[in-house]
Amino acid sequence: MSNTLSFLQSIKNEWQLICRDAWLKALLFWVPVLLALIIWGVFSTGIAHDLPIGVVDKDNSSISRSLIRNYSASPTLSVVKHFNSTEQADTALKEGSIYAFVIIPHALEKNTLLGKSPQVTAFYNSQFILIGKLVSSALLSAHGTYVAQLETLKNLVNAHGQVTQALGEALPISYQITPLFNANTHYGQFLVAAVIPAMWQILIIATTVIVLATPLRNTTLESWIENLHFSDLLIKLIPYILVFWLQGIIYISVFYGALHWPMHGSWLLLIFAQFLLVIACASVATLLFFITLDVTRAMSLVAGFAAPAFAFMGVTFPTTDMPVLAQFWRALLPISHYINIQIQQVNYGSSFINTTNSLLALVSFSSCLYITKLLFEKRKKSNSLKLKSYTTDKQSDNKNNKKGYN
Amino acid sequence: MTWKKLISSEFYAIFTNIPLLVTVFGGVIIYSFLYPLPYINQTPTEQKIAIINLDNSQLSRTIERMANATPQVKITQQIYNIEEAKALLVKGDITGFLLIPQHFYRDLLLEKSPHLLFAGNASYFLVYGTVVEGLVRSASTLAAEVKVSRMVIRGDNIALASSQFTPIGMNLKPTFNPSLGYLNYIVPAVFVLILHQTLLIAMGLVTAGQFEDKVKLKPSSALHSSYWLTQPVWKILLVRSCIMFAVYLALLSYYFGYSFEYYGISRLATIPDLLSLVFPFLLSVIFLGTILGLLIPRKELATLIVLLSSLPLVFSAGFIWPTTNMPTIINVIAQFSPSTPAINGFLRLNQMGDSIDNLVGVRSQLWLLVILYATISFILMTLKQRSFNDSLKPSE
Repeated sequence: MSNTLSFLQSIKNEWQLICRDAWLKALLFWVPVLLALIIWGVFSTGIAHDLPIGVVDKDNSSISRSLIRNYSASPTLSVVKHFNSTEQADTALKEGSIYAFVIIPHALEKNTLLGKSPQVTAFYNSQFILIGKLVSSALLSAHGTYVAQLETLKNLVNAHGQVTQALGEALPISYQITPLFNANTHYGQFLVAAVIPAMWQILIIATTVIVLATPLRNTTLESWIENLHFSDLLIKLIPYILVFWLQGIIYISVFYGALHWPMHGSWLLLIFAQFLLVIACASVATLLFFITLDVTRAMSLVAGFAAPAFAFMGVTFPTTDMPVLAQFWRALLPISHYINIQIQQVNYGSSFINTTNSLLALVSFSSCLYITKLLFEKRKKSNSLKLKSYTTDKQSDNKNNKKGYN
Repeated sequence: MTWKKLISSEFYAIFTNIPLLVTVFGGVIIYSFLYPLPYINQTPTEQKIAIINLDNSQLSRTIERMANATPQVKITQQIYNIEEAKALLVKGDITGFLLIPQHFYRDLLLEKSPHLLFAGNASYFLVYGTVVEGLVRSASTLAAEVKVSRMVIRGDNIALASSQFTPIGMNLKPTFNPSLGYLNYIVPAVFVLILHQTLLIAMGLVTAGQFEDKVKLKPSSALHSSYWLTQPVWKILLVRSCIMFAVYLALLSYYFGYSFEYYGISRLATIPDLLSLVFPFLLSVIFLGTILGLLIPRKELATLIVLLSSLPLVFSAGFIWPTTNMPTIINVIAQFSPSTPAINGFLRLNQMGDSIDNLVGVRSQLWLLVILYATISFILMTLKQRSFNDSLKPSE
């Protein structure tokens, strides 16, 4: 009974605190929405289209022109410029105004008709790997389609009009490529669904640190610690944990509910994993704050810990190809365990048993709270000793302050 | 106060600020090892796949061997149906599979163009791309072989046949990053952003720290003599930007020199060319950081704001997702962050070997940002100084 009362009291206190502090209000309510909107906005087209490329047509024949038309017909590509020389095209590629250029050699038509198999050369910008890969595969498929047409036409003459045989000769083996679990290969959904959890982790950890530090704005560290019980601290965090959890539930409901992104797994399991993630992040934040007991320094630790998390999540670059040290660092980040569960649920609808490892890993982060408790008790003990030996804690306080001001 | 005194006070303010030192030196150096860590292996290789061979002919086993020979995939399991493959995929044991249909060899002999089935886990794009690339490569090699042998059977010359198997060939050349390495892709851009973000935090911490502490702890008499309230704003900004510029010039050299060399990332730009971009880049960031410090009530918010802006800045910079496919509003706003033109400029100069003469646009954009942010920070700091001095007077 007294527990519920103190909990309700804590909610009331924290609500007043949030109302007074515009920054805290922003962090809890509108900053997450704004960040999600920006990331969603960047990738809102989902599938890249009309990427600018150039051509250097040295042949200028009907075959070269229809080849160029075929490149332009690809939805991914758009031939924006005809260059007169390779140098000009090269400059444009370096400048970034085109992502690739194709050089069509002299006498392409003549050599094709003579069966001499001429070569078309395409240079694509592979510094931007993702864009480069999109461009190169679009070029290859546009080229392949045209060549197959040309060849089928040629074979049709030999095969006396039998289309299947002519086709079979042009393409002795055909293949069908099936993207599993993400049927429309929507790059936007793929990245947004991973970037938003990464930002969510940053927000949870940073906001928790700010919340823990709020009492220090009005009192000194010593007197705050003296009057504090560890359990009060945890109760103080409960309302925030609920808000963070709600943020997570909202983002998955918007994406997989309102926007109808495909979702194959269990909502209940995913929401439960989100709860565990929030607890894990809050525990890590508590530890980071108590290591430093200074909000600015704690925030530096948060930055070091959470900022590179996206690179380690294993979504863009596979975990299995990371060195052991990177895999170890990855395991220390709560979000990488959560993203495993999210991908498993959303894409495969994996069973509970397949996710237990990740769920357990998330639970184990709460051990940070235990370490924090030990730190806190040690600090409290030394604090009370200090208070006994020097009753004039103000003096030491003044000394500390002077350091920064000379 | 003499210049010498001002300079030494600035030095003191910067080099005794522990969170600043942790961010600038600790952050920059730790990140230089931590950030490239996941990408050290450059490209994903040897993705585990399963094979479902329903044909069991000599030729189907040749496909298996060919697929296994590519660096991209490795066959780890022999299975008999698609359900089994899916279960393995969900468990994460394999990342794709190859299905060779029944009568594959017979259909090939009948010139019926038989179908191979490739499937990859598209939840992870890079993995999927790698698996597909490996499988397509082995299938097209086989197709080419089949074509050549047919031409030979028809009586063509083998040398001629092997060069004529396709009417028009396409030779695809990856440019600037020929190995398609992920490290070469991410690190040069992200390092610019790390310098950008840590410098913003550092400037924010110094500036906000000075204007924050006075309210909380200092008696107004002591505050009165604080140099940042008594000295002319232009002098403070000048001295501070010079010191931070020098510090960051050293850190930038460490990134663009030692780190790039260590990771084998190309450095095509000459030092004078680089410098002509470094000047406006660092200066614009320094003034932007000062503005940030003047606008926030507490210094820890500097770290927080910069931290939250990192991922949006990375994804709107244009090296991951084409700017032409972004909403204009996001693109326009991103241009006000020095990181956007700087990432673009440094990549063109250092990785793509563009000449500095072609970078007029990027350079003038950065210089405009320098002028804009220097003016704003001057005005804001003057206002803040005045309001503090006013508020201190009556209390005396």
